[in-house]
Amino acid sequence: MTAKSSRPLRILLAKLGLDTHTVGITVVAHALREAGMEVIFAGLKQTPEMVVSAAIQEDVDVIGISSLSAGHTRSLPRLARLLREQGGADKLLIVGGVIPEEDQPLLEAAGVARIFTMGTDTREIARYLNDWWLARLARAEPATRTEPSAPPRQ
Amino acid sequence: MTDIGCALLAGQVAAGARAIRWLDDQDPRGREVLREIFPHTGRAHLVGITGPPGAGKSTLVDALIGEQRARGRRVGVIAVDPSSPFTGGAILGDRVRMQRHALDEGVFVRSMGTRGQAGGLSRSTYDACLVLDAMGYDVVLVETVGVGQDEIDIVSLAHTTVIVMVPGLGDEVQAIKAGLLEVGDVFLLNKADRDGVEQVGRELELMLHLRGQDGEAAAWRPPLLRMVATRGEGTGAAVDALEAHAAHLRASGQYQRQAGLRSYHQFTATLREAATRRLLERALRHSATAALVADVHDLKVDPYSAAEALLAQTEL
Ligand code: B12
Ligand SMILES: Nc1nc2c(ncn2[C@@H]2O[C@H](COP(=O)(O)OP(=O)(O)OP(=O)(O)O)[C@@H](O)[C@H]2O)c(=O)[nH]1
Ligand SMILES: [Mg+2]
Repeated sequence: MTAKSSRPLRILLAKLGLDTHTVGITVVAHALREAGMEVIFAGLKQTPEMVVSAAIQEDVDVIGISSLSAGHTRSLPRLARLLREQGGADKLLIVGGVIPEEDQPLLEAAGVARIFTMGTDTREIARYLNDWWLARLARAEPATRTEPSAPPRQ
Repeated sequence: MTDIGCALLAGQVAAGARAIRWLDDQDPRGREVLREIFPHTGRAHLVGITGPPGAGKSTLVDALIGEQRARGRRVGVIAVDPSSPFTGGAILGDRVRMQRHALDEGVFVRSMGTRGQAGGLSRSTYDACLVLDAMGYDVVLVETVGVGQDEIDIVSLAHTTVIVMVPGLGDEVQAIKAGLLEVGDVFLLNKADRDGVEQVGRELELMLHLRGQDGEAAAWRPPLLRMVATRGEGTGAAVDALEAHAAHLRASGQYQRQAGLRSYHQFTATLREAATRRLLERALRHSATAALVADVHDLKVDPYSAAEALLAQTEL
């Protein structure tokens, strides 16, 4: 979908607690790989502490949590707070899975940037992330130009 | 010194992580940080872990981390998985098997995609090792992509190369073994709880014995150790072997020489890439040489003569 970039977006995918629904997170992982992103798979049974620590070590741009067994109204605000406390405020936090509508305002207020519920087309997820990434790169551009593309001066 | 450089030398995780990102992305700030920290590198023992896909490399790394931590060492890990050659994307999944140490501050795990590099590593794996070294990690374990026989870049990167073997891989394993056998410093026969371990063990012992015969007397004899990584069995002996190999390298002066070779390797690779790019850019700006490049595409000239002609015109 995207052209190969020397700066691919890096995203950490994880599931919190005892939620064992693995299909969605796996489908999303493959779709994002196809979209040219580096997906760091942290796996199941993660705590908010583990996710934040991994996100910092991996220096990801995005954290994606898959939640199909409730529990997210407690764990996600905690995760978002830890992330801010540990210097990861610049990372985007998104969530997908079975997220009842009544939970959504709480999650958004806690710092979740976007919620993808059951039945979302994975191309929509890739497009959303890609747009976000391009906007961020454009903002950072003056400072972070990669390899000079102009021929060497002589 | 840059803020990131300072923070990284003080051991700050986020700073080291960001420096690795810059180096991986070829962001010029990465090179600047690398220049600053380079004088603080050279302490860490770099250990490469390679072997066929699914051999248990990540599980084994997890076990090795535990043992190294018990011995009071701080451990850095670089785990490399393949990037898609078509999209550049990747699923980096080694971390899943290294969860036991997720909240241990003495452990840093970083996943990397190969990003178009053949050989089982990414272009910036060496740079990432330097960063972890400068951050004060005593041991850096590098897990390569599951390799065949010629994808063995890890040998020129690591002080100690560990080859992970398993029973029941089938016939193609013979070829793999032949290639890897020549380069391993420590052989770990993992999944020793599986059927067929005796037979593979005997075969490997024989091959290692034959390899040992044509070396000098003072040469290192690579040990073959049986392991069950999932249960942590054999981990102590494996770490003993890594330490024995490091001691051997130090005693024979090879430890420093290895680091120098690695740096020289990176130096020539960087030169090769930059020189080629500049040469081509210059060639394309002049009509005569641009025509020569076009002739290569049109198959009007063989590639060797064209390269010679271009080098002659640029007086190289
Ligand atoms: C298959 C399934 C199971 C399987 C799971 C097998 C496996 N290995 O995954 C089994 C049978 C084990 C199972 C068990 C249970 N399940 Co169940 N299960 C389902 C079912 C039928 C389908 C889930 C699925 O795989 N969907 C397909 C994938 C592709 O969709 P998805 O996960 O939603 O992912 C999409 C989006 O949500 C989004 N997305 C998901 N994750 C992420 C992450 C990111 C970062 C992003 C951007 C997007 C994203 O993108 C995906 C693509 O569109 C659902 C019902 C349903 N229709 O959803 C119930 C359901 C999820 N299960 C439910 C329940 C209650 C359970 C159980 C507690 C017991 C029970 N009553 O059956 C246990 C608990 C297990 C546990 N500890 O977690 C409830 C959850 C209710 C809730 N959360 O309030 C559901 C909704 C059924 C229901 N209507 O009651 N389940
Ligand atoms: N029976 C048995 N299984 C093991 C052992 N070590 C690892 N495994 C299993 O082998 C599978 C692969 O393990 P990994 O550690 O992911 O292997 P890997 O070599 O890192 O795999 P890649 O990175 O994909 O090449 C997992 O299911 C492990 O649980 C062992 O000693 N015995
Ligand atoms: Mg692995």
